[in-house]
Amino acid sequence: MLDALSGKFPVSVVTGFLGSGKTTLINRLLKRPDMNRVAVIVNEFGEQAIDNDLVEVSSEQMMLLNNGCLCCVLRGDLQETLRDLFVKRRNGDIIDFTRVIIETTGLADPAPVMQTLMTDDMLLANYRLDCVVALADAVNGIEQLDTMQEPVKQAALADRIVITKSDLAGEEATAKLEARLRTLNPQAPIRRAINGEIDLAFLIDVGLRNTKAKLADIERWMGEPDEHGEHHRHDETVKSFCLRYSEPMSWASFSQTMEVLGALRGSDMLRVKGLVNVAEHKGPMVVQGVQHLFHPPVELAAWPTDDHSTRIVFITRNIPRETVANLFAAIGAVTATA
Amino acid sequence: MKPTMSPQGQAAQTISRNMKLISHNELAGFGGIGEGINMQVTKDGRRILWLAHESAPKNFTAVDVSDVKNPKVVCQTDLPHERVRSNSLDVVGDIMVVAYQTKKVGDKPAGMDIFDISTPEKPKLISHFDASGPHSRGAHCVWFVDGEYVHLTSGSADFEPTHPNDFQFYRIIDVRNPSKPVEVGRWHYPGTHKGDKEAPPPRHPKFDGGYRPHNINVFPERPDRAYVAYLDGGAVILDISDKANPKVVTNWRYSPPYNGFCHTVMPLLGRDMLLVTDECTKDDGLDWPKLGWVVNASVETNLVPMSTLPLPPVENFAKRGGRYGAHNIHENLPGPASFRSSSLIVGTFFNGGVRAFDTSNPYQPQEVGYYVPGAHRLSPKGSIQINDVWVDEKGLIYTVDRFAGGLYIIEMEV
Repeated sequence: MLDALSGKFPVSVVTGFLGSGKTTLINRLLKRPDMNRVAVIVNEFGEQAIDNDLVEVSSEQMMLLNNGCLCCVLRGDLQETLRDLFVKRRNGDIIDFTRVIIETTGLADPAPVMQTLMTDDMLLANYRLDCVVALADAVNGIEQLDTMQEPVKQAALADRIVITKSDLAGEEATAKLEARLRTLNPQAPIRRAINGEIDLAFLIDVGLRNTKAKLADIERWMGEPDEHGEHHRHDETVKSFCLRYSEPMSWASFSQTMEVLGALRGSDMLRVKGLVNVAEHKGPMVVQGVQHLFHPPVELAAWPTDDHSTRIVFITRNIPRETVANLFAAIGAVTATA
Repeated sequence: MKPTMSPQGQAAQTISRNMKLISHNELAGFGGIGEGINMQVTKDGRRILWLAHESAPKNFTAVDVSDVKNPKVVCQTDLPHERVRSNSLDVVGDIMVVAYQTKKVGDKPAGMDIFDISTPEKPKLISHFDASGPHSRGAHCVWFVDGEYVHLTSGSADFEPTHPNDFQFYRIIDVRNPSKPVEVGRWHYPGTHKGDKEAPPPRHPKFDGGYRPHNINVFPERPDRAYVAYLDGGAVILDISDKANPKVVTNWRYSPPYNGFCHTVMPLLGRDMLLVTDECTKDDGLDWPKLGWVVNASVETNLVPMSTLPLPPVENFAKRGGRYGAHNIHENLPGPASFRSSSLIVGTFFNGGVRAFDTSNPYQPQEVGYYVPGAHRLSPKGSIQINDVWVDEKGLIYTVDRFAGGLYIIEMEV
């Protein structure tokens, strides 16, 4: 009776470098009438913080906005904050939020934030990662990607990328940034936003909402189809590729392959997501991992189409497609079909 | 409604998890419903939800829920006077039984009506089973699932309790001929009837809820057992293979130390377990804890509690006004429009709303959803007081407010 996904609160992670417009974007989202039951976790209430009118401040950590949303300052660690939010919600202490948005600091690596949702039993039972949104500023984005690791990782890990300040940077610079981001993460759809104006549908309900997911839901979650195989510039360390296998594999061979990769190259396995055709299972297994950590697999009720092939997207740092494919072949005796 | 963080303000806000409101009906302004809900599927295929009112002036209401998004009241009846309530009803096919309990002993009507509801708009009285008497307040609860026998919580003309709070007992009424209902068996808690050789049972030191049956469960799958919640007497299992002579199999008494008012003893068929609920009867958390218990019944003569259904802290909900704690559960009645599960339990918790629990692991039941409607504007307690629940065979939840809110139809998203 229980659906492994539908009862969980979706969590959106908004990441992006300093000045890329994260707060502006969140402010715009919260002004929408259909975003009136959101708990936003921010790093501080500051001048640049959530500017929705306050109606009530319950403590230094939490305040209520006049549209019904809750704004909560991250104190201690995220794990504790998310647990606290859940308990307070159930106890009737705070609004019954239906979504969580986490605004990371500009310098943050989003991987630990994503991993938090995968490693704590209580959080696993009650939350699901819906979408990682990375913002890139068209004025400074290229330079940041060239000189620092964090923005590269933010873009590589994202499910959706939003380019901001394109009006200030001009078309040429914006197009250059967009091309660069596309090589870093070809699966993630890219949109432009000026002053946080963006179609909400682009950013929410990206993750699978229940185990009865249809093809469109799966494609939405996995991102844009990878038509060109491996993507990378000659000087780009981040690579992205998709492996497909038409024959079912055993769960043991999949998990052992991931374990070996995780143990040897965990920090370079930036993100893995896909469907695995596991022998003797009716529906596909949804798998997703961030570096060396994997979310427990969730079996969907059924395959969305007649195509039952395993399809897994990898975003890595300096791990070529062949390495992973060879490992699958060695461990699982399977052959890639694409 | 502006959101707020104060408990009183929170009572005005609807809170939910994994449950979604499909529709709400205030029942023509008479939105106070008791503990009788049952769904009829008529010969012409309509789905009619029958609801017994908590108190006068209304007797019962029928709601056509064939289109759950647009429930329509098709029948609403009145009681003869303000000193009687119906509170409980059950339906088998086109036959409905309704309980009548008076405020004072000796008053009438006290007992049970049997109706032909083949035309839901026009229920026809078939017969009245009189349970009035000098010490009787009539009937509080009916259990009617097989079309043959009503298991009734009632007083009678010939029953004089040893304590005034113990005015009802268990009666088995043969209704195979619905125009002539006749008692075929009875049982009362030892010591509660004048003339018993046993001494009267001890009164609860803090809350004397009395020794009376509340809900009685008898399932076709287990026709030789009656599962009787006997208020301060706890859970009683009776062997009713000989209906004329019910015999005690076991009695689990847990109050004190707990605060009494055992309300429902439902066997989890196929699992050798019981789901036992208390009833919260005091406002503001005074009689907390009032719980739902998962009980090991694999050795029928030695019932052992395994866990309780997890609830949010009383500190939070007691402040919202009215009662907070366990009460009715969907009792897995047989019938074409009844949900039946031995693991998923849906219960009502007054201002804690309607809540669903997965008891697959009986040692660690998990809450899987809840819906707490915001207080109705006419609520005398300032909070919702969700009183009873029916779950249909599709898993839709029909739940009711005790005072004003009427009917809420809810979809589980689990």
